Amino acid sequence: MESAIQPRCLECALRPDRVFCDLPTNALEAFDSVKSTIVCPRNTVLFREGQPARGVFVLCEGRAKLSVCSESGKRLTLHIAVPGEVLGLSAALSGTVYEVTAELLDNAQVASVKRKDLLAFLREHREACLRVVDLLSQDLHIAYDRVRSVGLGRSRRSRALPA
Amino acid sequence: MLSPYGLDIVESCLTCKMRSDRIFCDLPTAALQSFEAIKYATAYPKGAVLFVEGQAPRGIFVLCKGRVKLSICATDGKTLILKIAEPGEVLGLSATVSGKPYELTAETIDPCQVNFVKREDFLRFLKDNSEACFKVAEQLSEKYNSACHEVRALGLSHSASEKLAKLLLEWSSKNGEAAKQEPRLKLALTHEEIAQMIGTSRETVTRLFADLKKRQIVQSKGSTLVIRNKVALKTMATNG
Repeated sequence: MESAIQPRCLECALRPDRVFCDLPTNALEAFDSVKSTIVCPRNTVLFREGQPARGVFVLCEGRAKLSVCSESGKRLTLHIAVPGEVLGLSAALSGTVYEVTAELLDNAQVASVKRKDLLAFLREHREACLRVVDLLSQDLHIAYDRVRSVGLGRSRRSRALPA
Repeated sequence: MLSPYGLDIVESCLTCKMRSDRIFCDLPTAALQSFEAIKYATAYPKGAVLFVEGQAPRGIFVLCKGRVKLSICATDGKTLILKIAEPGEVLGLSATVSGKPYELTAETIDPCQVNFVKREDFLRFLKDNSEACFKVAEQLSEKYNSACHEVRALGLSHSASEKLAKLLLEWSSKNGEAAKQEPRLKLALTHEEIAQMIGTSRETVTRLFADLKKRQIVQSKGSTLVIRNKVALKTMATNG
């Protein structure tokens, strides 16, 4: 890790640039009380596809590779997550298994929140719930773009939309 | 009230009997009343296009009755069907929330009842109703799960036979037939549409079905398909 660990979200200077992190003070205080900050080395697997969802991981520093795997072990990268993204969100919300495997590409700082605590936090803080809806929409756009490139061999970026 | 398409239109969400079975619709009374004030109940015939991939988002479409085909299209006209949406699903959700263009094209494959809500009304509704916001997050999670499944099926399956076997097994499990010795499923789609679901040609699907029948893995009875040899189909789904 190149920079010092940032244990409290309230004091994080990078917060305003990140959709989920830029919450009102009372929500951030509540989030600080339910999260655990961990530092993980490169190649750490935060969660595996098919595992029951234990919670979410907010990527504070470092990148993570999100991939899906076939029965034969063949792997396909869905997305490279960057700081500010919340990993495992859809599985934690729906209470199912993780749909993807998340593996760190760099040494990283991660804030983890247990599923039960996340659900209580979101019910308590409407603003955070709205941010989660925004993030899930973005995740879905990325996933659809991947479906498009895998299934039709193109990406949205390659298409010019009429003005 | 009967519409021109033979649909029994449910005018009010508050009196809808199907509400409790549907993730988004089962809202507290106060939220439902707010939703009632902003929705437009509409009926569409089969083949109507609700929105087109690339269009600026106008709002969401709650599917009350009927089914809707969700697809993406290449410039050369090649189409990929991502999903057949069922009643209770909210269509156009991620685009409406993010303000980005609709990612998919939605076309009715049955006469449908759809409740439309304008984007600005829907965003205000979410801000004011935390329970609705939570339910939207749940719907988006399900859609993400389904999109990941689609990436896996399209990107990691080796052959068209593997993809078709997986699709048939998936349909039988959705029908609650998975545990049966010889699961049955209604083939509601044409070979062309099945081809668009697994990213292959209509000819390949027809050839694969003929082969499955010849090997007595499946049997057709009208529009019903019986899986006679589940083990063989599962082997195909795993090994191609």
